[in-house]
Amino acid sequence: MSAAALPAASRPLDIRNVFWLLAAMSFVIAPHLARVPAWVGIFYAAIIAWRAWISISAQRFPPRWLTTMLTVGASAAVLASYGRIVGRDAGVTLLIVMAAMKLLEMRTQREVVLSIYLGFFLVMTNFLFSQSIPLGIYLLACVWFFVATLVGFQRVGATPTIRERLVPSGLLLLQALPLMAAFFLLFPRVQGPLWALPQDARAGMSGLSDTMTPGNISQLIQSDALAFRVHFEDQLPPYGTLYWRGPVLWSFDGATWKANEAAPVGAPAYEKAERPVRYTVTVEPTGKHWLFALDVPGGPLPAGSSIRHDLQIRSTRPVDTRVRYEMVSYLDYAYGEKFPQMWRNYALSLGDAGRNPRTIALGRQWREESKDSSAVVSRALQLFNREFTYTLEPPLLDERDPYDDFLFAKKRGFCEHYAGSFALLMRAAGIPSRIVTGYLGGDVNPLNKELIVRQADAHAWVELWLEGRGWIRVDPTGAVSPLRIEGGMDAALGPIGAMSSLIAADRLGVLSRIRYAWQVVNSEWDQWVVGYNVDRQRQFLQQLGMGVNIDWQTLAYWLGGSTFGIGGLIALGLLLRDLPRRGDPSLAAWKRFCEKLARAGLARAPHEGPVDFARRVAGTRPELEAAAREITERYVKARYGSGASPAEARELSRLVRAFRAA
Amino acid sequence: MLANIRQSIADWIFRAAVPEASPVTLVQRRIFILPTRQGYFFAFTLLLLLIASINYTLSLGFLLTFLLAAMGGVAMLHTWRNLAHLKLRPGHCPPVFAGETAHFGVTIETPLRKRFAVAIRRRDAEAMFVDVERGNIAVLPLPAAATRRGRVVCGRLEIFTRYPVGLFHAWSYFDFGLQVIVYPRPDPAGGAPPTQSHGEAEEGISIPGDDEFNLLRPYHAGDPPRQIAWKALARGQGLLTKEFNATASSELWFDWNDARAIDPEARLSVLCHWVIEAERLGQSYGLRLPGTSIVPGRGEAHRTRCLNALALYGDPKPQ
Repeated sequence: MSAAALPAASRPLDIRNVFWLLAAMSFVIAPHLARVPAWVGIFYAAIIAWRAWISISAQRFPPRWLTTMLTVGASAAVLASYGRIVGRDAGVTLLIVMAAMKLLEMRTQREVVLSIYLGFFLVMTNFLFSQSIPLGIYLLACVWFFVATLVGFQRVGATPTIRERLVPSGLLLLQALPLMAAFFLLFPRVQGPLWALPQDARAGMSGLSDTMTPGNISQLIQSDALAFRVHFEDQLPPYGTLYWRGPVLWSFDGATWKANEAAPVGAPAYEKAERPVRYTVTVEPTGKHWLFALDVPGGPLPAGSSIRHDLQIRSTRPVDTRVRYEMVSYLDYAYGEKFPQMWRNYALSLGDAGRNPRTIALGRQWREESKDSSAVVSRALQLFNREFTYTLEPPLLDERDPYDDFLFAKKRGFCEHYAGSFALLMRAAGIPSRIVTGYLGGDVNPLNKELIVRQADAHAWVELWLEGRGWIRVDPTGAVSPLRIEGGMDAALGPIGAMSSLIAADRLGVLSRIRYAWQVVNSEWDQWVVGYNVDRQRQFLQQLGMGVNIDWQTLAYWLGGSTFGIGGLIALGLLLRDLPRRGDPSLAAWKRFCEKLARAGLARAPHEGPVDFARRVAGTRPELEAAAREITERYVKARYGSGASPAEARELSRLVRAFRAA
Repeated sequence: MLANIRQSIADWIFRAAVPEASPVTLVQRRIFILPTRQGYFFAFTLLLLLIASINYTLSLGFLLTFLLAAMGGVAMLHTWRNLAHLKLRPGHCPPVFAGETAHFGVTIETPLRKRFAVAIRRRDAEAMFVDVERGNIAVLPLPAAATRRGRVVCGRLEIFTRYPVGLFHAWSYFDFGLQVIVYPRPDPAGGAPPTQSHGEAEEGISIPGDDEFNLLRPYHAGDPPRQIAWKALARGQGLLTKEFNATASSELWFDWNDARAIDPEARLSVLCHWVIEAERLGQSYGLRLPGTSIVPGRGEAHRTRCLNALALYGDPKPQ
């Protein structure tokens, strides 16, 4: 017997329960700590330590004026750190501060519940930053922890063991999973957002920017993050043609290349468009407008996008969720022979006066020496090929005349150095040129034939306009490091990213196979879980056979039906186990035994007890004596003696089945 | 407010005969279930999580929201199941003196699983929580203040649980008609028990402990431990009780009129004190109240009979 008699209000919170809650909250906040200013982590740790100390040594709670002051102070610090109090990063930081303060003040069961619900919100805030599988699993464990904490707090007057916390809460969540899946698939999805998102809601996404200065792509190259995935309908085109066009940069100020926002809409007519390639791109959120395609794009454009005259495809809304689109591109093409004069001027701008004088002088000199544009191009490429080195760690360049410094002094650089200086040389030689940034190549996953393009594949190249030929693509990096063009980044520089040294050491290819399998899993996860949106849901429901026009009512019926179905099954599973066992298996076996004997002409008289009956059977049919005695003894023991275990009851019915009277 | 409405509805729905036959099994139709305040708050939290998921198009946010919602639904089943099929029986309700705390005993038994944090409470009193293990009988002594002599009636009891996560409150009512007899508060100011009653001729010797030892007889349940022959037990003769000669000389009569006090309740307190004292000293005593008379005797049963007569004198209104 155990009982608790203290009134609920004055009962101090059980120290174990408090520690469970502190631990659960810390687990949930842990992924955030790398993202928020350092003082937040220190503040949180200090408050948690304080709360733990209050519980351990039964200290007094801090007075209200002190907690109010701390709250106000911490909020002010958030405001000072971010310059505002709303928005994703500031909001999350504020929530962490509030959670810490709530834990510090927590005295009653009601405040505990409030803290746990706040914890659920903090789980949600983690998804604003990542929705990857590992984080999902981690946060599921956190939810388990929180539910276990709730269970602990419900055990009034008892101290549950770790098992008694984790098992019931785990069971609850496990039984909730099928219902969760049904709701996830069938709950009518609405295209968000419901109201304007804070500006930084999607901050921290890596990707190309709409400017190019020597050095900014090589930073991107260090990242192993996924840029987009491509699924080709037919065969994979040759590696050297996989130029994924992104922002096209026209303006130049002497160091930085910039996209021209004024570029008119509408693709130019292609003079030649052959070798079509069909593919589907799933692009990761970038927060920017452009979409990626192989040159040159044709066919219908992705929904909600337009194409500029420089063949840049731009989405009307910023790409702040994963976007999937189908594309057609032509690998053999010619276009832009009739090129407007105004844009020719843009494509010949040499930047601010007086910058990079030696580069410009070199370009002009080449033009004077040769009237043939192709010859000028070849000279430049030969120059790169002879004297230059391709490196991921280029030396710092002079700020005023970076391309002079690069061409005539450092001679070591990365794709943006080559593209930038090449375009400038061409412009100086009177050849209209523009920089295209994007991605080159990718990594084919042999398991699902998907092309994975990572940030590390970022690249910059040049497009030239030649009289009579239109726009053509020239990649000066190829002149320096042909491997980069033909074999990708890994071939040019060795594997890149966190796993690079491991993969390099892995001769049997086990690791890369695991990596490919992991990519497939991630791809499916992104498409079916993270990317499950209005369109996906429609697609899924059509596959279920709901037809093309699905209204809310149908969906509600399905949702209700599956809820009741699954819920009913769970309820049945739980409640059936509680029903008292109907009938005694030993008695049933005994009845069957008597029936068998009755058919053989030995019916048991109603007044006859089992032992007497067995004796009579033994008297009339001596050959049955042994079997009849064994059955009777077991039955008597089960029925009138110490009872029968399930195994013994099974043995009794087995004996009766084997019994032959006839 | 809500609790009151719930109470009245339950009063109306659940009009069982009082007292109910023991044991009461909590079958399906006896158990009610509603969300707690925490449960409603949980639903509100889920709504906020859902809106956030829609607004930020967070698929894992949807998963979280639906996981928690489904968990709530499953928790309802578990809460209900934590109460279902429990067997309740009336327990021990020992008498108390006025001013003490009365306890109504209720025992809970589970035929199946172990049950956690099952609670029983009287209407407005603090609930008592207990874990019920299979094969063990959990005993809950529910306290109630016994301010006046007479009887405290337990009334209808509520058995409830919020386990496992506190989102739902499953409850049932039962009433075994439990009551506790409350003896008058003994008044030490009454002094030592009077050795001679007015109007009675018997001469009594008031020196305690002079009773003559008469014989040893087998122990009966209820014999005071004082009278057990411990030496005989030590010798291995089993439990024996020492019987004393009830000599006429030590026979006392406590009369209503002897207890000189201003009001009847004070008189009863004095009489109560005498009964306790006389029993403690091992004397034989009788009790005379207006309309009642208990012939002299001794022992636990006799004492209880006398105290009951005092407690219920004049048939006081139950508390």
